[in-house]
Formats: sequence, C-alpha cells, structure tokens
Amino acid sequence: MRHELVIEGAAFRLRPVGDDDAAFILGLRNDPELGRFLHPTQGGLAGQQAWLDSYYARPGDYYFVVERRNNGAAEGVVSIYDIKAERGEWGRWILQAKSPAAIESAWLTYRCAFETLGLESVYCRTVATNRSVVSFHDSCGIGKRRILERHFDLGGEKVDAVEHEVSHLDWPTLNARLGVLATLTARRLQRD
Amino acid sequence: MSRDQVQSEILAILNAVLKREATPDSSRKNLPQWDSLKHVEIIFAVEDAFGVQFSEEELFELDSVENIAASIIAKHAA
Repeated sequence: MRHELVIEGAAFRLRPVGDDDAAFILGLRNDPELGRFLHPTQGGLAGQQAWLDSYYARPGDYYFVVERRNNGAAEGVVSIYDIKAERGEWGRWILQAKSPAAIESAWLTYRCAFETLGLESVYCRTVATNRSVVSFHDSCGIGKRRILERHFDLGGEKVDAVEHEVSHLDWPTLNARLGVLATLTARRLQRD
Repeated sequence: MSRDQVQSEILAILNAVLKREATPDSSRKNLPQWDSLKHVEIIFAVEDAFGVQFSEEELFELDSVENIAASIIAKHAA
C-alpha cells in the first residue's frame, strides 16, 4: 500500500518504496547470489512495476527501501505485510552484498512493527537451507522458532521454512540487543 | 606477536562469540553460524583485543580466520 512511514536509525533509515525504485528492486531480486532463495521477478522492469502497482493497492503491506542517512544511497529493501489481528510478517529482506545494514535494518523493521504499527507480534519465515539468515534470526535471541514443512515453492520444489516469531513482550530485550549493535556499527561507519 | 599467537587469540574470540569450536580453516562460508550479526560482534572483539581498527571496506574481507590474522599482522607491521 502507499504509505508515508519513515523510520530513522543511527546510520540508515527505512523510507517508502516508490515507482523510481523499481529498477533497484529488480536488480536486487535478479542478482544470482542475493536472489537464490527468492521467486524470480517475471517480465523485467515492466513486471516489477506491475508488481508495485498491485502492492500499492494492497492494504496492510508496508514496503521500504533501506537507505543511508548521510547520502540517501539505497542498500536494500524490507517489508511488513499480511497483517491480521495485530500479527504481521516481515520479509522481502534483501541487502546489497557487503552492505553493513543487516542489523540496523532488522532493528528498524521491528521498531516499525511494534512502535509505529503497534503489532502484538511479528514473524519472519526463511527458507530452511538459507542457513546464514536462519542463523541471523537465531543470533538475535529469538526464542520462538518452528519448522514449517514444505512451506515455500522454490523453482517448483517444496522446501521447508524456519519461522521466528517475536511478541511485543520480547521487544524490549530484542530492542536493547539490536540497538546496541546498530549504534556501534553506525559509529564505525561515521568514523570512516 | 607471532602469527600463531594472533591465530590462537582469534580462535578464542570465535569460540566465545559463536559458542562452538572454530578451527584455523573456519570461514563464513563453512560456518553458517558466523552470520552477519555474529560477524559484527567478532570484529568488535578483534578490534578490542588487538588494538586495531578496520574500515567499512575491510569488514567484508575479514571473512575467515586466515584473513583476519593476515590483516592484523599487516596492521601491526605498518
């Protein structure tokens, strides 16, 4: 959906996706390494724009660009969507290779979910064989975790997902952990 | 500080952060628990332990025990 939410962090911000971001998103999704665990975008730039048009019309779907605060350079995308009964999913999380925005963009996404949207809980589903991202969520200290068998259809093959879920009761602990690491990382980026 | 001492200290940091036994061959490619969050924790700990600072560009080159050790030795030699 079209929205105007901007979530400011220490070195990065989340800002709404717009039409001008179609080529950037397409580039991320079609990157052979970054897109290994994603559905390929059909139809090139026109297909990506058509997807954005359908996204704009879909309520409860917040799609963001992750960009640097100091120069506005886009480094990735992330979404919160499928919001039902104050529970939502976060995903479509792709960052450029070598972007240092992983921790801060995750932190800002949780901040948006709990502090801006007021959700009771938020979950993230990762292809089980995407072990580094599954590990990232484990490393955040998220205790609620389950396997969803044959959840994703990836290239015609049914594959398992790992679901991590955070409730608003867990948010203060997660906020402290990610906030410290994001702030320390931002200091480093400002030092360079 | 010898290369063996540097490597030994790096392995101790990895073992503490990852809570599993790393080896001199460990890298982000063969140790999935060495994810992007743990990587930041490892690099901060390495900087503190060796009194060095890495640039943003260096962060992503430091993806193995071998590369971290080589970078520290080079910085101490400079």
